[in-house]
Amino acid sequence: MSLNLTYSISEGVKGLKRARFATSLSVSTMGISMTLLGVFVLFTLNIQSLVSHVRNKVSIEVFIESGIAPDSLEHLKQAIQSVKGVSATLYISPDQALERFKKEFGSDPLEILGDNPLPASFQVQIKSDDRTARDIEKIAQSIQSLDYVDEVVYHGILIQTIDRYSRIIWIVDIVLVVIVFFASILLVSNTLRLILLAQKENIEIMCLIGATRYFIRRPYLVQGIFQGLFGGIIAAILIWITVKLISAFFPHMLSFPSYSLLVLVGIATLLGFFGSWLGLQRFLKV
Amino acid sequence: MIQLVDVGYRYGSHPIFSHVNMHVATGEFVFLIGVSGAGKSTLLRMLTMELMPQQGRVTVANFNSATIKPGEIPFLRRKIGVIYQDFKLLTDRDVYDNVAFALFATGVPRRRIKKRVFQVLAEVGLSHKRYASVPELSGGEKQRVAIARALANEPFVLLADEPTGNLDPESTEDIMKLLFRINRRGTAVLMATHKALLSDLGPSRVRRIENGKVI
Repeated sequence: MSLNLTYSISEGVKGLKRARFATSLSVSTMGISMTLLGVFVLFTLNIQSLVSHVRNKVSIEVFIESGIAPDSLEHLKQAIQSVKGVSATLYISPDQALERFKKEFGSDPLEILGDNPLPASFQVQIKSDDRTARDIEKIAQSIQSLDYVDEVVYHGILIQTIDRYSRIIWIVDIVLVVIVFFASILLVSNTLRLILLAQKENIEIMCLIGATRYFIRRPYLVQGIFQGLFGGIIAAILIWITVKLISAFFPHMLSFPSYSLLVLVGIATLLGFFGSWLGLQRFLKV
Repeated sequence: MIQLVDVGYRYGSHPIFSHVNMHVATGEFVFLIGVSGAGKSTLLRMLTMELMPQQGRVTVANFNSATIKPGEIPFLRRKIGVIYQDFKLLTDRDVYDNVAFALFATGVPRRRIKKRVFQVLAEVGLSHKRYASVPELSGGEKQRVAIARALANEPFVLLADEPTGNLDPESTEDIMKLLFRINRRGTAVLMATHKALLSDLGPSRVRRIENGKVI
């Protein structure tokens, strides 16, 4: 490490100590906003995991006209499988359907009706990339247009609701990320402004004795980096504690992979750097 | 080494001086004497290129006001030592750090910094106060620290802007003796002051600044 860099780091740390109050305010505010962001992202990940679990369960029931010949049944199966977005089909004969009915409802239609009223059907699984409401509707329409298909049934409203809410959650996430990022950068930049105002005379002296603009600016960049780093560490600790507490009540909750806390600290450090860089561009005219 | 050719400067519509021609040769001691507001400080600020002449040109060592780029100005200032009436010390640091700062800023290795700081503090007679904080010092001591800092990078010229303006007569005499001693060792000194009598304290050349002219 060059001497100038060592000097910049040590001056940066000294500067943070001198402006203790403004720095602690900035670090703690940044820590709290990063924590809110982290917790919300964690919440989103859990919701998304739940949503994807529900989506995996979504299938299309294709009821087949009665009296279909075995050849036509085979052709229909192939035609369904060749529809874009279909991953698998499972044939359920009227007898299998009757067994399922008995299992689910506990009564036997044969006893009441004397005949099996249930039609044969295909249970169609959808590829994971094509599980939005629009995709499923398209697949269902394609299947509906095939010969020997009597009726196509799927949970359209459930899927639409899932789609709508997961879109809203993502939008809130993105808005929150943008707000927290801008707020953090402005926070560090304005804290730096206070520090620069207090150091105005010293900066002038530095210029007069021949310090280059980079030499003068570097300690302030170091201060911004440290503000971000400390804010990030606070956020990582708070998120870790929050996750531990919530996990005690919801054991199946998804947790952050441990490296993501490091990523969070890294992002906060970068935000600190950009904040101080912006502050220097705006408030330091050397 | 320092040369002003046909230099003029005005603040808004108020002319400070015009057609100034002046030079300071190696090892010279030059007094620039004039009343307050005559333009002494403005002229010195042109030598550090805080201000650029609006007319004519200023040359300091190899740096020319007409051709210098903003990024080169710090390197010009490293060749000049400057002291001020209000000392301009970093008040949040001790004596050692104030002097060392000038060396850190120019990228001098740490082991050489310590040696050089001790050397210049000895030169100005302040070795015993090296870890004192700035507010603890008397006016004369503060100016000595400023001189030590100005000398740290071995400048070829020391610019002194009313260096005794805030000092009592005893401290003034001490500082003047110190400046003449520094000059005897080969460093040129250009001192701006309104106290004409100070020029009698040692061998020197005197230029006067009055009515916008240097005579």
